[in-house]
Amino acid sequence: MTLNALDISILGPAFLAGLVVLSTHVPLGREVLARGIIFLDLAVAQFAALGLIVADTWGGEAGAWSEQLIAAGAALGGALVLQMSERRWPAQQEALIGSAFVVTSSLGILLLAHNPHGGEELKSLLAGQILWVTPQQIGYTGALSALLIALGVWRGFGGRLFYPIFALAVTASVQLVGVYLVFASLILPALATRNRPNGLAFALLVGTLGYAVGLAAAALYDLPAGPAAVCGLAACAVVTARLRRA
Amino acid sequence: MRYWLMILLLATARSAAAELSVFACEPEWAALARELGGTRVEVFSATTALQDPHRIEARPSLIARARRADLLVCSGAELEAGWLPMLLRQAGNDRILPGRPGHFEAAMAVERLEIPEKLDRSQGDVHAAGNPHVHLDPRRLLTIAGVLSERLMTLDPAGSEMYRRQWGEFEGRWQQALSDWEARAQPLRGVRVVVQHRAWAYLFDWLGLEEAGALEPKPGLPTSPTQLARLQEELAAHPARLIIHAAYLNPRPARWLADRTGLPVVALPFTVGGSEGTEDLFGLFEVTLTRLLQQ
Repeated sequence: MTLNALDISILGPAFLAGLVVLSTHVPLGREVLARGIIFLDLAVAQFAALGLIVADTWGGEAGAWSEQLIAAGAALGGALVLQMSERRWPAQQEALIGSAFVVTSSLGILLLAHNPHGGEELKSLLAGQILWVTPQQIGYTGALSALLIALGVWRGFGGRLFYPIFALAVTASVQLVGVYLVFASLILPALATRNRPNGLAFALLVGTLGYAVGLAAAALYDLPAGPAAVCGLAACAVVTARLRRA
Repeated sequence: MRYWLMILLLATARSAAAELSVFACEPEWAALARELGGTRVEVFSATTALQDPHRIEARPSLIARARRADLLVCSGAELEAGWLPMLLRQAGNDRILPGRPGHFEAAMAVERLEIPEKLDRSQGDVHAAGNPHVHLDPRRLLTIAGVLSERLMTLDPAGSEMYRRQWGEFEGRWQQALSDWEARAQPLRGVRVVVQHRAWAYLFDWLGLEEAGALEPKPGLPTSPTQLARLQEELAAHPARLIIHAAYLNPRPARWLADRTGLPVVALPFTVGGSEGTEDLFGLFEVTLTRLLQQ
């Protein structure tokens, strides 16, 4: 055990990044559960990654801003296609999302076959490392999240805006904390508190506790922070679900 | 409560005994810092021998250690480019920033191999400053040790006498070991070897081994069917004697080729702690040489 890693200036930014991600993902996660399209975020994140790879392969060097626009554009495009398919083939939606995920992932690998540096970019897009977040990153993503939440509160998270909001939120959060944590933030708090009165508030609490427990455990036991936070979220979700039954 | 106090006391006691806190990016530099710093340094290694130093998972303790460090010892030459800049930014420790005396890049102390004439992203995991895995040549390692020892004296002048003594002793033992290794390694001259990842340039340079081909088509890329076919063709025309791979890499590509060519596969420790008997730098070269000579 190492106590000196339990330092607010080390864990603070990571925790803040977690809160920013939770702010959009908990309401979106409840919607994802209601629609039964659990793997949507993996597919959308892959669309964003594929957009980056395509831009990188054919567009040469891209600046940070144009890269973000391309990633968001690709994610939005993918989300629109999935929105269309949900309307047309609602029963097959989950299968289509799964297929979109493996096909976009494989396309990405094929495009990267001759460019290992692109591989690093892909990896940083998919497995962003929560400890390395910068104040600017948190600021930009926080501003975007506030915008998306306002939009969601105004027009409802579940309506026609669901797919666009989802695509933008996932593109931003995946780069902040990585794909595993995005999935965990989306699904676990919502799952643990479904059918509960005040579900949204409870889910936010579960998520906050989960990040706190996971990051503290990473500091105390010298573990990678991202996976530790995923396990923290899972532990808090299980405890909440059991409490309800008792 | 008493338990916590004991831990705190132990932690402070340990840092009180050591004068210099060293953050090593790879285990070989941690081992070298221990040889040269003796009891005056407290050494932490960010990676183990079984991890790929190009990539690393961010743990809170890494930032905490970097924050306290007086001296950072890394391979440099962009080996740690994927994570060290982020770590340094997050640690906010001026003493170990690039350009400061507390920032030591081992590769920059020696002549590097494979410096690309033209840097092209399509070439794979290549480094503009040349191949960074310099620790695998014991002659270069001695040069680096000399520079590092001087750096220790600069950072901790009160310990100069001890550092000089440690250096003298290390240099003597190393020279002796070096001439012994070189005498034993004579039969390896000109032996053709297939590698998995092109990380062995300095070992080959020292021992006079010849690279007969690589399983990775370009450094850092997974093996492709075309590459395997090309390699088999190449080996049919110019046979090799063995296939080597680092302990930290998946041995499957090497075994696949071994099944088809009948060549023996040798797993080399690559760095300190990579296999049994490699607890220090002497052990690293001893085991590497013994395993190569067994085939």
